[in-house]
Amino acid sequence: MYKLVVDDLHKKYGEHEVLKGVSLKARAGDVISIIGSSGSGKSTFLRCINFLEQPCAGSITVNAEQIRTVRDKKGALRVADARQLQAMRTKLSMVFQHFNLWAHMTVLENIVEAPVNVLGVPRDEAVARARKYLAKVGLPESVEGKYPSHLSGGMQQRVAIARALAMEPEVMLFDEPTSALDPELVGEVLKVMQSLAEEGRTMVVVTHEMGFARHVSNHVVFLHQGRVEEEGHPDVVLNQPKSERLKQFLTGSLK
Amino acid sequence: MIEIVQEYWQAYLWNDGGQLSGLAMTLWLLVISVAIGFVMSVPLAVARVSKNPWVRGPVWFYTYVFRGTPLYIQLLLFYTGVYSLSVVQSSDLLNTFFREGFNCAALAFALNTCAYTTEIFAGAIRSTPHGEIEAARAYGMSTFTMYRRVIIPSMLRRALPFYGNEVILMLHATTVAFTATVPDILKVARDVNSATYASFEAFGIAAALYAVIAFFLVWLFRRCEMHWLAFLKPQSH
Repeated sequence: MYKLVVDDLHKKYGEHEVLKGVSLKARAGDVISIIGSSGSGKSTFLRCINFLEQPCAGSITVNAEQIRTVRDKKGALRVADARQLQAMRTKLSMVFQHFNLWAHMTVLENIVEAPVNVLGVPRDEAVARARKYLAKVGLPESVEGKYPSHLSGGMQQRVAIARALAMEPEVMLFDEPTSALDPELVGEVLKVMQSLAEEGRTMVVVTHEMGFARHVSNHVVFLHQGRVEEEGHPDVVLNQPKSERLKQFLTGSLK
Repeated sequence: MIEIVQEYWQAYLWNDGGQLSGLAMTLWLLVISVAIGFVMSVPLAVARVSKNPWVRGPVWFYTYVFRGTPLYIQLLLFYTGVYSLSVVQSSDLLNTFFREGFNCAALAFALNTCAYTTEIFAGAIRSTPHGEIEAARAYGMSTFTMYRRVIIPSMLRRALPFYGNEVILMLHATTVAFTATVPDILKVARDVNSATYASFEAFGIAAALYAVIAFFLVWLFRRCEMHWLAFLKPQSH
């Protein structure tokens, strides 16, 4: 039983084809790292999964429920039922490269916002949930009342992870979660992500962190020019790369 | 000076012996027009940034007309121009409404400040950080919820310094209300001037009253900014 099935996803920007048929399947507890050089389409792929970008073709299935789509005049896929998409998005919470916290809300309000106003969780319960997940990402209760801009990048990203957790999602999507951080702050975020992986959460992670891909994930997908060039268990893919391109990529990125 | 204050202080502040006048009238006119303008400008600003030209266009036209013509002329049009239309004269409701100078002034001011406020708010909506909108979508918010919970609360906060300015400009703009025989501060000052010929005192007192209101408004908006814009300030421990 798959939590998330992405089948044959295509995406074009004008004439430029960014994704040329990418598929992915995630079982409960899978931690999938998507790697590739910039421009390989890995972020676009992740953003197509929850329709932040509109794919041109392909299908997405969450918990055996496929997103119904229709084709628009330009040939791109459009979601047929906005409510179904909204419901689906609550099951796929996303962590962004630039955190994307709501700047005018305090830390606690950020985490409580979607559970209360989208899922309809009673406020008390949402607050209790928020505190639980703040503790889980290793933040003290004293940050609750602070605004995102008053925190370091690493702390903001951990708040964003707590916000994602508070949705109690089926699958968590991470879009280069450490790329915007100062090098000394990367570790704290990766540590949190590792603890989530160990809990058995299903995660799809677009990353440049080879250490994370190697040691935390159980499946690595190498994207090159919009296609899956190679995929499999990290020990196999990263230690015995078959394709020339992956060899090049790994010698370039592993120091 | 002392005699003028002794004789006319009541008219300057709140009552000219029959009706609301002076400071109280200016404030009442300001509050009612700013309140109506504010309430209307929020939905209009949302319409102003719509992707649909049929929604965006009329709002653009409205703000263009009211920002492109002098407030004084707008007031004259409402007070004397509209009243001369036969539609207005034949309708009891419209007739009663437009006969009152205060109603005309309040309507002109409300529509005028609403046009400026709409543009201020629309600008703030356009500068909402894209990532915050993306996060709202990614967390399953409908467009309505996204506007209600993220875009509008963020926009109102970021627009606050500009909005405070608009309110102060509006305060000064209320001085044209005497054209429609509204007994505001300036009207009282003109009456005192013609009764006593003490022009400097008559208008000096009026200027001081406007300065006091403006000072209060500056203070009020400063407090609001401290409260609602804390998220933009560097943190103080």
